[in-house]
Amino acid sequence: MGDPIGLQDLFFGTMAGAGVVLSGALYALFFALTRLHGSRAMNIASLAAYLLLIISVFVMANALALSGFWILVSAVMLIGYFLLPRAIWHLCVGTHAAEAAATHSRATQ
Amino acid sequence: MSTSTVNVPVASPLTAGQRIAMHYFIAAMVLFLAQILFGMISGLQYLMPDVFYNQLDFNVTRMVHINAMIVWLLFGFIGSVYWLVEDEAKTELVGAKLALINFWILTTAVAVVVVVYLFVQVGPGELKSIWLINEGREYIEAPRWADIGIVVCVLVFFYNIAATFMKGTWSGISGVLVLDLVALAGIYCAGMYFTPNISVDQHWWWWVIHLWVEATWEVLVGCIMAWGLIQTLGASRKVVTTWLYIEVALMFGSGILGLGHHYFWIGTPEYWLSIGGFFSALEPIPLVAMVVHAVYDSGRHGFKSANHPALAWLIAHAFGNFFGAGVWGFMHTLPQINLYTHGTQWTASHGHLAFFGAYATINIAMIYIALQRVRGNVWMSGGLSDNGWKWKWSLGLLNGGVVGMTVALLIAGYDQSFVERALEGSTWSGYFQAQQSAWFMQAMNWRMVFGCMTTVGILLMFWDMLTIGTSETRGKQALAPLPE
Repeated sequence: MGDPIGLQDLFFGTMAGAGVVLSGALYALFFALTRLHGSRAMNIASLAAYLLLIISVFVMANALALSGFWILVSAVMLIGYFLLPRAIWHLCVGTHAAEAAATHSRATQ
Repeated sequence: MSTSTVNVPVASPLTAGQRIAMHYFIAAMVLFLAQILFGMISGLQYLMPDVFYNQLDFNVTRMVHINAMIVWLLFGFIGSVYWLVEDEAKTELVGAKLALINFWILTTAVAVVVVVYLFVQVGPGELKSIWLINEGREYIEAPRWADIGIVVCVLVFFYNIAATFMKGTWSGISGVLVLDLVALAGIYCAGMYFTPNISVDQHWWWWVIHLWVEATWEVLVGCIMAWGLIQTLGASRKVVTTWLYIEVALMFGSGILGLGHHYFWIGTPEYWLSIGGFFSALEPIPLVAMVVHAVYDSGRHGFKSANHPALAWLIAHAFGNFFGAGVWGFMHTLPQINLYTHGTQWTASHGHLAFFGAYATINIAMIYIALQRVRGNVWMSGGLSDNGWKWKWSLGLLNGGVVGMTVALLIAGYDQSFVERALEGSTWSGYFQAQQSAWFMQAMNWRMVFGCMTTVGILLMFWDMLTIGTSETRGKQALAPLPE
């Protein structure tokens, strides 16, 4: 697990932990809005949110003195937050496509 | 956009399942009130330790506070499933009389356990007391006879629901629901395993606390949410069912081994630090995925809701689940931080927001869906006769109160981690130093203020539940299925 963290790092470690989930959610939000509206501003916002996520993970890893396996966990987290919104968007389009096709065929009959 | 029309209310008698559901909902609300009452007393005892000393001690008030919460949520879930089962199976409930007898047995057992909690909690702990008075496991203190009774009642409930679907029609929602009810009865049994080895005992105890509450309840809530979205928004059954499967897969993928974050400090092998840490880091990711789907749906469809209070509570559920379980959970889940925060008010902070956000909100939403039918399928969309001020204020007060308590407890927990754990090295004197520090006491004062706010919110919500729709002359807003 590594050594216990210093007192001053407890605050930064916990706040960075909250920052990871919040910036991950912000990234997902702006990513979805970019796909929905094709807006350049939203795209920049999503990149900014992901940058915030990277910073949060970096601060957390430093504050908690992560090394070895725990660095790998941080990396998997970063990749997971990056890929999952894309996968979920893909699933959204796929699940609703069948519904759209059914609606269209009803309308044309 | 959804199309909608305004109808005249068409009252129809409640079905057998819905009548039983109303029994459960009423009992759940009584227990909700008990939870808050004993929570307020427990909170007061932090500030004034002499209050009810030797009459109603903190160990009893806290136990009743937490047990009442578990039982009212369980009653709410059972009620919700009885409410939706006939609609979902498209047939009448099998064993309605058995279900009613089951309700009264369960309710009587709960009343007896509470009386025993309140009046018989002093004396030596022995095998007889495990069976008759208190099993001694935190959060699931119910004596062994009541534990077995709970499992039997859940099995009877399982029979009623599974037999109804077998008689009627199956659906994606019902398939997931019935399988989950098997786990609901089965995993609870892990909490009855007695061994003198405290590490082994805790190992199985966490199966109930983590897997029973965080896995089987979450799946149950997913099923109720799926049905609720069809009812309130006219969401497509096919889409909702697909997402239910995805949710279950994502949750099982990270949630089951996330159990490891409870095994850090109970004497289990060291590899649990890695397993628990890894899967706990992944646990919030499915919640983030939910954001993408919510944006997709709200962007593609214009929503009209047939029941505004229910939809508002479903939205509160989504936010509460994300912040309570996701943000507050991850903040202290890695072992490097958990070393300092485990078992402090930090846990209480996470527990308050997560239980309220993930579970209380969905039960309240289901009760509002039920009330619409009870009042004769009346209008409960926008523009209620009193502008819906009671449900809006109760929603605000309850959510504001719980969030306020959560933040206050977080400050108390941080102070405790700092003083008791980090500075004093988890000593007995360190514990008392932390309990008496200025920040801790101030936070506890604020917790009481927000507790009072929550209490006012609940009383207002009860008033609203008793009156909403009683003078309404318009029928329920009809919703066309959402087009792409």
